[in-house]
Amino acid sequence: MQILEVGVAGTMESSDIMVRIEPKDTEGIELTLESSVGQQYGPQIRRVILETLRSLGVTKAKVDAVDKGALDCAIEARVSVAAFRAARRDDYQWKTKGAEA
Amino acid sequence: MFTETGAPPSGALLNRTKRFLQSQGLRFDDDVEFTVNLLDEDGEIVATGSLAHNVLKCIAVKEGLRGEGTAATIVSELATQSFHLGRTHLFLFTKPENEEQFASLGFYPMAATGDVLMMENRKTGIDDYVKSLKKPEAGGKIGTVVVNCNPFTLGHQYLMETASSRVDALHVFVLSEDRSQFPADLRYRLVLEGVSHLKNVYVHKSGDYIISSATFPTYFLKESVKPDEVNGTLDLTLFAKRIAKPLGITVRFVGTEPFCPTTARYNLLMKKILPRYGIEVVELERKDQISASKVRKLMAEGKLEEIKKLVPETTYRAISDILKAENRR
Repeated sequence: MQILEVGVAGTMESSDIMVRIEPKDTEGIELTLESSVGQQYGPQIRRVILETLRSLGVTKAKVDAVDKGALDCAIEARVSVAAFRAARRDDYQWKTKGAEA
Repeated sequence: MFTETGAPPSGALLNRTKRFLQSQGLRFDDDVEFTVNLLDEDGEIVATGSLAHNVLKCIAVKEGLRGEGTAATIVSELATQSFHLGRTHLFLFTKPENEEQFASLGFYPMAATGDVLMMENRKTGIDDYVKSLKKPEAGGKIGTVVVNCNPFTLGHQYLMETASSRVDALHVFVLSEDRSQFPADLRYRLVLEGVSHLKNVYVHKSGDYIISSATFPTYFLKESVKPDEVNGTLDLTLFAKRIAKPLGITVRFVGTEPFCPTTARYNLLMKKILPRYGIEVVELERKDQISASKVRKLMAEGKLEEIKKLVPETTYRAISDILKAENRR
């Protein structure tokens, strides 16, 4: 997934995370994280963000995240939405055909 | 608690907001485009914040509610609104003692004067900007001029020729703010073309960092602070510390300013502040009293022949193109 413009998702309310993804010229993810629970969960949050981007195939991006204690699933969701917006894509697969959740 | 918004705020909402700000020792700014208020069950404002261009301003939270959550709601709303408008690079001004609170909302300090701290939502924003500028490989004496060039005249050309002859390299910053008659891109291009014969001149766009709606806000934190003084001080402090210093700039040239009182006041302030950071301010005499405002006036009167005497060939061509296009309409 190629990042074409700035994409933003989330809020800075408690238990949420605001993610901003921007284009970057060179290979790699440049991640800046500000978190209210960074002391305890910083590495874990970074891991979830980077893993989500990897699974989306994003390899070049500048990412800024302001976390207010979001759970992993919320982090993943916010990162995905920001990435889809930044890639100008709206073909997110909500459901795999035939799969039962 | 619930929120109310105004874009721009008007009527009762505006009056409420103004009253609340006043009770917090703050002033409402006329250039606000969007306001969000947080109200309690009785409909009383407990927190407020506004947006003007890419600047978050007039932010206040009632005493007793100054936990992180309240400010976060306000800043979130303002950021979201701003992103919807396509503005993702945000700035804010606050009292230095609030630094930590806004740091937790993803804002990073840029420069501070005694009363005001300026922050942006990119950790290395201004450093990246300076890094992106083309610069001379060798050292030597490095100077700068900051210009609007609305449009580029023979006066500007003379200023830059004189300045560049006195230094080894000259950085020319052309203001990027699009609030002038000539659009920013055209002003930039005309400067580039007008100094192409000067080999030691580096022309840059000033971006959000020099005399922009971000660095020159009309907003002030306390009514007791003299607006013009704080404004220019912050802009100049930011320039000296974060732009001039990494570029090795030791002299800033300005043209004498007999026409515009705002610029004259800014120049005066410059002489007070920049030397503190090891930057000499050199005032150069204006050539034949040429001014860009005179050119604009002649343009409005359609006096193309007289304009020819005041501007270089490149600017003249641009102006005649604009006038031709207007006549066709």
